[in-house]
Amino acid sequence: MPLDSSIYALSALRLDGRRWNELRRIQGSISTQASADGSAYFEMGNTKIICTVNGPQEKRGGRDQSNEAKVEVEIGIAGFSGVDRKRHTRNDKRVQEMQLTIAAAFQHTLFTHLYPHSTITLTLHVLSQDGALLAACLNAATLALIDAGIPMSDYIAACTTGSTASYADKEDEADPLLDLNGLEEQELPFLTVGCSGGEDKVSVLVMETKVQMARLEGMVSVGLDGCRQVRGILDGIVRAHGKKVLESKVG
Amino acid sequence: MAITILSPAPAHEPARSQYNESDEDMDIDDLPSGHGNTTTNIITPGQIVTSDPQWMRGHGTFADTDSLAIRSTLAGTLQKTNKLLSIVPLRARYTPEIGDLVIGRIVEVQSRRWKVDVAAPLLANLLLSSINLPGGVLRKRTSVDELNIRAFFGEGELLVAEVQSLFQDGSASLHTRSLKYGKLRNGYFMSVAGMGGGAGVVRAKRQIFTVQTRSGGEVDVLLGVNGFIWIAKHVAEKEDVGINRLEEKVGESMYSSQNDEIEPYTRQEIAAVAGSIRILVAGGVKVEEGTVRKAYEAGLELDERERDGEMLDGDRGATVLEMVLAGG
Repeated sequence: MPLDSSIYALSALRLDGRRWNELRRIQGSISTQASADGSAYFEMGNTKIICTVNGPQEKRGGRDQSNEAKVEVEIGIAGFSGVDRKRHTRNDKRVQEMQLTIAAAFQHTLFTHLYPHSTITLTLHVLSQDGALLAACLNAATLALIDAGIPMSDYIAACTTGSTASYADKEDEADPLLDLNGLEEQELPFLTVGCSGGEDKVSVLVMETKVQMARLEGMVSVGLDGCRQVRGILDGIVRAHGKKVLESKVG
Repeated sequence: MAITILSPAPAHEPARSQYNESDEDMDIDDLPSGHGNTTTNIITPGQIVTSDPQWMRGHGTFADTDSLAIRSTLAGTLQKTNKLLSIVPLRARYTPEIGDLVIGRIVEVQSRRWKVDVAAPLLANLLLSSINLPGGVLRKRTSVDELNIRAFFGEGELLVAEVQSLFQDGSASLHTRSLKYGKLRNGYFMSVAGMGGGAGVVRAKRQIFTVQTRSGGEVDVLLGVNGFIWIAKHVAEKEDVGINRLEEKVGESMYSSQNDEIEPYTRQEIAAVAGSIRILVAGGVKVEEGTVRKAYEAGLELDERERDGEMLDGDRGATVLEMVLAGG
């Protein structure tokens, strides 16, 4: 069966019943681990991430002489998180690239100059993966950093966009899709876009697949709109948590 | 037995932001100025606090390069001090201030100083010259003292100290030049959230106090402002210690790492006090002398009342909290 028709049927519904511009269900909670300085649990569809933040703290054994805090990211992908059970080694190149991408994004969004000679360590545990792994990691990290009380210029909200498969002669029939799930990600070209807040400042843009040049603009603009929606949801999670904290604060 | 199938509950809508940019300048004018007065609504990172140029930006805020609007960098509540606007975070790491009583752990011994972990972004310094020497002698530190630096504090040991000064980068310099301060032993360490956040230790008049327990004698409680807490068996001190009798008081035992024998009853009471503090933290109540005493007494009272029927953990905590809040 040709995949393009199965993924994007005539009724314009995708495999999981969403339309082209709909996000999956997003949920999150803050302050999930008491022992960390900041922590969050984040779900984007079936992609589930736990993020903990430690720091800013001085690195043991030789202090860092730079005048700003260093952001370090460690991603652990559980063996049971994917469809097939496999061990992810520590020096997996794709994981390393994700770590670098996340560290670079937050290095510029956080106010690291307030914490000289120190290190902020982000630890991400992937419990379940079903597409948009990098985007979910970025969102989870944003929530955990807010919980840790580290100043940042704005949220980093991220999502993925794809493009329906279509042949070159029917180029205009290709539609952008928002927030691909795991199955769609395997078949379709997609990119991850991360925005620093509502001003459409793109801080992360990663694409590992090939796509026709003409489709890119549409994909990015759908992605930016998706990021705005994600930011709204993240903001809602933070406000709900803040309200809960203020209500329970007594005396 | 008939099997019933419940219809699936609908998924609840994800929480979306209720905030829109139009209702900026919320209630800054109505907010009373001063410490401790904050708004009740939450401000989140990137949100415009105000675009009125009359306000100055304080902690937790920043200004765009291209506009005058003041934006928040933290999730928290707004605090106004005259014309200065700052954001008080919901939770943050401890930042040292001069005069804070802190509990710390030695992580590194250097030639003339110790590096102390006080849960701050940077390790604190404790200089060899800012500790009391055993025997109470007041003299210049010599190279012999430097060689024997591990005789005072070694790696991993706990101490109570005061923040003497702050360095340019925000790290603290500690001192232990008082009989109240020094090495900790005979007790139990626990760590709760420090300043900031819903609960935790707050700066108070008295951070060190003694609780008279029911069966284990007196127990000392040291509340470090950085969220580290030490609960130890009380050691009776000799009366009328003047500066001239410092020598007697500051004996060789001052830097001993050997614990005394502690009776099971005292251990039990130390654990009870620690449990009371945990209840306070879990319930979002600030930890200070009054609340700790009340929570401990509430626990005792519950023990009396519930001699036969055991309460489950959560219920007991809730009851203790209720009694603490009712009492004050």
